[in-house]
Amino acid sequence: MQKYSVFSLIKNAFSDHQNWEVAWKDPTPKSEYDVVIIGGGGHGLATAYYLAKEHNITNVAVIEKGWIGGGNVGRNTTIIRSNFLYDANARFNEFGMDLWRNLSQELNFNVMFSPRGIINLAHSDAQMNAYARRGNSMRLNGIDAKLLNRDEVKKLIPMADFSDEVRFPIFGGLMQPSAGTARHDGVAWGYARQADSMGVDIIQHCEVEGFDVEGGKIKGVRTSKGVIKAKKVGLCVAGSTNILAEKLNMTLPIETHLLQACVSEPVKPVLDGVVTFGAGHFYISQSDKGEMVMGGDLDGYNSYAQRGNLPTIQHVLTGGLALFPFLSRLKMLRTWGGIMDMSMDGSPIIDKTHIEGLYLNCGWCYGGFKSTPVSGWTFAHTIAQDRLHELNADLTLNRFSNGYLLDEKGLGTKTWIS
Amino acid sequence: MRQSHRLNDIGLINRDKVITFNFNGKSYQGYEGDTLASALLANGVHLVGRSFKYHRPRGFIGAGVDEPNAKLQVTINGHSEPNINATEIELVDGLSATSQNCWPSVEFDIGAINNFLKRFFPAGFYYKTFMWPKSFWYKVYEPFIRKAAGLGVASLEKDKERYEHKFEYCDLLVTGSGPSGLASAYAAAKNGAKVILAEDKPRYGGTLLTDDVSIDNMSGKDWSEKIVSELKKMPNVTLKNRSQVFGYYDHNMMVMFERVGDHLTNKSKYTPRQRLWYIRAKETILSTGSIERPIVFGNNDTPGVVLSSAAKEYMKVYGVLVGRKPIIFTNNDSAYETAFEFKKNNVEPIILDTREEHDSEVVQEAKNKGIQIKFSYGVIVANGYKKVKSAKIGKLTKDKKSFESTETINCDCICVSGFWTPTVHLASQSGNKLKFDEKIDAFIPDKSKQNEKTVGAANGSFTLQETIESGFKTGSELSSKITDRNNENKIPTVTETKHNVHDKFWCMPLPKNENPKRFVDFQNDVAVSDIEIALREGYRSIEHVKRYTTLGMATDQGRTSNLNGLQMVSNIENKIVPEVGHTTFRPPFTPITIGTIVGREVGMEFMPTRKTPMHDWHEKNNAVFVDAGAWKRPRYYKQGNETLLEASKREAKNVRENVGICDVTTLGKIDIKGPDAAEFLNRVYTNAWLKLPVGKARYGVMLREDGMIMDDGTTTRISENHYHMTTTTAQAANVLSHLEYYLQIVWPELNVNVVSTTEQWAGAAIAGPKSRDMLSKLFPDLDVSNEALPFMGYIESNLFGVPARIFRISFSGELAYEVNVESNYGLFMWEKMMEIGQEFNNQPYGTEALSTLRIEMGHVAGPELDGRTIPQDVSLDGLVSKKKDFIGKNSLGKEAFILENRQKIVGLVPTDRKSSIPEGSHLVENEKAKLPNPKLGHVSSSCWSVENNNPFSLAIVNDGKNMIGKKLFAVSPLKNTSIEVEIISSHYVDPEGKRVRS
Amino acid sequence: MLHINCPFCGLRAQKEFAYGGDATVKRPELNKEVSKEEWDNFVYMRKSPRGKHIELWHHISGCRQWFKVQRDTATHEIFKTAKMSEEIV
Repeated sequence: MQKYSVFSLIKNAFSDHQNWEVAWKDPTPKSEYDVVIIGGGGHGLATAYYLAKEHNITNVAVIEKGWIGGGNVGRNTTIIRSNFLYDANARFNEFGMDLWRNLSQELNFNVMFSPRGIINLAHSDAQMNAYARRGNSMRLNGIDAKLLNRDEVKKLIPMADFSDEVRFPIFGGLMQPSAGTARHDGVAWGYARQADSMGVDIIQHCEVEGFDVEGGKIKGVRTSKGVIKAKKVGLCVAGSTNILAEKLNMTLPIETHLLQACVSEPVKPVLDGVVTFGAGHFYISQSDKGEMVMGGDLDGYNSYAQRGNLPTIQHVLTGGLALFPFLSRLKMLRTWGGIMDMSMDGSPIIDKTHIEGLYLNCGWCYGGFKSTPVSGWTFAHTIAQDRLHELNADLTLNRFSNGYLLDEKGLGTKTWIS
Repeated sequence: MRQSHRLNDIGLINRDKVITFNFNGKSYQGYEGDTLASALLANGVHLVGRSFKYHRPRGFIGAGVDEPNAKLQVTINGHSEPNINATEIELVDGLSATSQNCWPSVEFDIGAINNFLKRFFPAGFYYKTFMWPKSFWYKVYEPFIRKAAGLGVASLEKDKERYEHKFEYCDLLVTGSGPSGLASAYAAAKNGAKVILAEDKPRYGGTLLTDDVSIDNMSGKDWSEKIVSELKKMPNVTLKNRSQVFGYYDHNMMVMFERVGDHLTNKSKYTPRQRLWYIRAKETILSTGSIERPIVFGNNDTPGVVLSSAAKEYMKVYGVLVGRKPIIFTNNDSAYETAFEFKKNNVEPIILDTREEHDSEVVQEAKNKGIQIKFSYGVIVANGYKKVKSAKIGKLTKDKKSFESTETINCDCICVSGFWTPTVHLASQSGNKLKFDEKIDAFIPDKSKQNEKTVGAANGSFTLQETIESGFKTGSELSSKITDRNNENKIPTVTETKHNVHDKFWCMPLPKNENPKRFVDFQNDVAVSDIEIALREGYRSIEHVKRYTTLGMATDQGRTSNLNGLQMVSNIENKIVPEVGHTTFRPPFTPITIGTIVGREVGMEFMPTRKTPMHDWHEKNNAVFVDAGAWKRPRYYKQGNETLLEASKREAKNVRENVGICDVTTLGKIDIKGPDAAEFLNRVYTNAWLKLPVGKARYGVMLREDGMIMDDGTTTRISENHYHMTTTTAQAANVLSHLEYYLQIVWPELNVNVVSTTEQWAGAAIAGPKSRDMLSKLFPDLDVSNEALPFMGYIESNLFGVPARIFRISFSGELAYEVNVESNYGLFMWEKMMEIGQEFNNQPYGTEALSTLRIEMGHVAGPELDGRTIPQDVSLDGLVSKKKDFIGKNSLGKEAFILENRQKIVGLVPTDRKSSIPEGSHLVENEKAKLPNPKLGHVSSSCWSVENNNPFSLAIVNDGKNMIGKKLFAVSPLKNTSIEVEIISSHYVDPEGKRVRS
Repeated sequence: MLHINCPFCGLRAQKEFAYGGDATVKRPELNKEVSKEEWDNFVYMRKSPRGKHIELWHHISGCRQWFKVQRDTATHEIFKTAKMSEEIV
């Protein structure tokens, strides 16, 4: 594989960039693979990469119904964090933070991970206490966290509304300084390129039409490009999980919902880190291009449409203006939507299934991007070893029946209001 | 002051009103009716900005929404706003604009060094480098990139302008007032339909203002004025200029953005700056026209290269010449009209037509006018840095891949036309799958998805005849469906020049050994070579091309570049365009200020403020308020220099020793009536309700179906079939919906009705050992003895003539009552209580004292009932009936819920009896253990126990029931505290509950 | 914004309504033996189909009635709305 570096860039510049190799090939599927990963999103591509790298399993295909990176990895707000209350989620994602920190070098692809910090703002003492509970739990798990008072918040984001004309004044906040953002497309492409170089077949425009299951064992998948036999199959399809589950006669503790986000026109840097509003559904960061990247609430009804409606955006931006009045004069440039696999307790599932050789990776709600590396890492382990790693030991499917729930927000099963 | 490029006697501007404005520190003049762009061009200014990546000099390309380059920092009324499109903003007195993304000036920009290094910055270069050393990305490279990016500067001031929302319904919404829009609006209006006609620009008429056509022997402009004036007279028609429909959403909901205030010089305080319209239309006509696309050639971004239609619009609408030595570079007939217009204004154009020599009406006309035409010719490269000075042109070979000859000719502008792209954004947003029309080499709407019909140029019909006919026909058909009227329309007679077919040619080849940048996307600096690299590297899906090169992702959303980009990809990949597909069209059509989207819900109006009837009294008596959802509740009543802790201690102590009153109006109240009410409550609450007598209250806990506690509160049986339920402030709305869900969906057979009465009743709690004495004074005729009104008793009476409900319930754990009166009498009740309470040392107390009182009694509240606790976790398992079924019961048997060492609520006291335990601390065995340090539980609520005069906390701890007596550490690394605590019962005061019954 | 036809009040903007999830999920009967699986299916398991979905909406800023809506989850098109007592086939 061609190595990317400033030197290769200069060298190629002098040959008019005619000699760059393809980042990944476009193979026709073989008739059989050791592992077929369904879903060419961040998680699927990462899984394939770690199968090859960590487990030396390279006879792997990633099949994608559209183009790789076209799902939620390409339509999220790029936030990366491990500020969780529950140990299972915190340790899982903190392991992921370590993967993020080395990802550009490991993949030889600049995924632009920047630890610019995330601040969750609080607007009451009760909220401060809830954040203290979460932050202390993080600290006891070895994750960095800081409790900020109003003045400390003001130092970091002086353009927030600290006036008297504010409905919910800022009391303080919880900060994870090591949290940050990354370049979402780059993550998918970086994993794809490395996986491809290690022998993984990335097969785009290949839609799954059905599964071959015999005697409780997975045998292969039927696709728009023909039958592909597989010893093991990993499902990694986020918002399409329910659709594939139906083809497997499975019902899952998951509902599919639409989440919108939007960006403003680019402006010169004003906001360094990620900020979440505590008195409404709104979060914001500024991209390297200068766009304010903003998101918030689900559209609030089951949906597979990657398009939403304006009232949700209006609601989100109303929170935005309450926090940052200066946004009023910025212009909203683009809105888009992604479909989320909302689990019934808000935490993901990475598990085996009742079908031998079939593995499940889903339930990411609106937080899948940050977990891309660790999800791929643990899912690869689960598939390769046919057992859960201790990092995903609690992210099981049966936690809903035995009650070991991981409900970070305490909102229960009404996925559309979480 | 002379405007060097202003023509006399032409244009629609108001020459009587001169407007002075400022650009990059220099003063200029224009006229009312100018845009900032036309006024600058009138002064010969082309160079207005620098490009995003290479900082190349950039000028105007278009004359409207299509403009990719001319984004300026504009100050009007003292407020500076970035990224304003100079081709759209109307000139007003005092307007001041500066170029963006350049330093120190647009004329001399240091960043332009990038232009010399451009070969090192191909598409996606940043993915390939800036990786070493590792920490440098965030600390060195990225800050540099961030500073370089970002166009304009956001003002950090609060926006003082007003923005509004409007909701409108209509039969027919017409989006665009060009020929098809006017025709359809007119036809529909004549059928009596309620019509809204929206026009983005200040002037109605669209292309009729610039095209050389005649309709019913009138010029296009005169005809449009006639139709507009007729429409204005019709009461069923709303005409809106400066109004752009930018989004087509579900169920035929259109959203429109109106620029109301910025062009006005004297506006009232209440005139909004901008207005957002939500329009629900029965039918929609999309008459959004089309946008001219450029032909791609070398250095095609040089200032002075403009779209030919824009050059014509600047002449005909604004009386402005974009140049005096123009080249018209075209692959179609429409640009010939621009040449004619130049000629009319005594400027000699030269036409380069990529097509082979042919004859058509326009060619004939050009020849008749003596205009030079060079067939099979095109511009290879524009010369000049900050302004076009000459052009290298070439005669194309038959296959159009190389040149027979080249030459250089002088020029000061190049007006380019690569044919027309229908504006299909709204149709696509509505869900319409687009189809590729080979005839015009562009996408047009396919079958309607919602109630939308696309007409005119937006639908790919580029002749006026067809456009007007389809406008009349569609407007008439859609409206008669609604109004059932069918007015006969006389379709006007149209005279227009017949156009020959265009040339399917989009990009000039380059001569050997020449390598100027050929830009596809101007604003994002995406050149043909970038698209080639993307494809070479395997980014072959059009979405990959877009994301890797950033083609079409700039603030103009690729209006002039998307289709050219598609053509490049299809050429290189040897595919046809429909195989390549197109990227998604997403709202908004053009960027919309966030202020407009939000409207009036800003500042204190972000959320409604709910106040109790006693609010003013609290305010007058130094209450410090706390937000409880939308409610304002007194947190404490400040005396002198008291701190929160001092005040809450004083108030709580006074309750324990004397008596206090607390405004509890915010608690949710639900009236429950019907013969099956008892049965219903029995199913909703975990405990038994069938035998509650009339005149008695009971405490209850309700669960969600997953077994978690949803809410708690007391419910009182007012009469046989009538109950009064209270909920927590936070859950009031949810509980009502929850009850309605079960009554209407799950158990419709139950004859019960529920209704919220939260706002009908004002409530005050009277708590403390002297509360009975005080109550007897409030209700002198009433027997309030323990026998007549026992704990959990209820009685109705009147408070000095005001009907009142008296509940003997207690949240503080003291002897206590709650009195409810109709809201209108709330203040009366409160003042009476204050007056009569004096002799008992009554004091009002706020939520902080209330918390202290409930915590030391071990009563659970929000921090414990956080949606993750089941009844046994908070010692409420005694209220869980084993005999009957209820909501959520089946979940309580889950393995994790019945574990021996399941979490449970306990009390904590610091072993030193002094150190307050911060809420949110966690309990650990070893405070110094290495991380991760196992957590045994967390501190949910803390207070200073006024009864015992030391800190006390509630905590939820693993194996809580077996932990009593143990010592642990409550650690808060965030606050750097570690406090040794002793685990005790959660009922710290009066564990037997004697006081409430006393 | 969706436009929802409340069976009691008529067409109203979505702003007036609250969503209530899958209407085909039936709560097991009270006071009856329920298998663990049946119970968990009720509480947690959802089909969440792409396409036609029968779901609950609550007219909270109107008549406060719950009712059923048949809607396409891919296009958001609403085919039918019905009172709880009526069937949507």
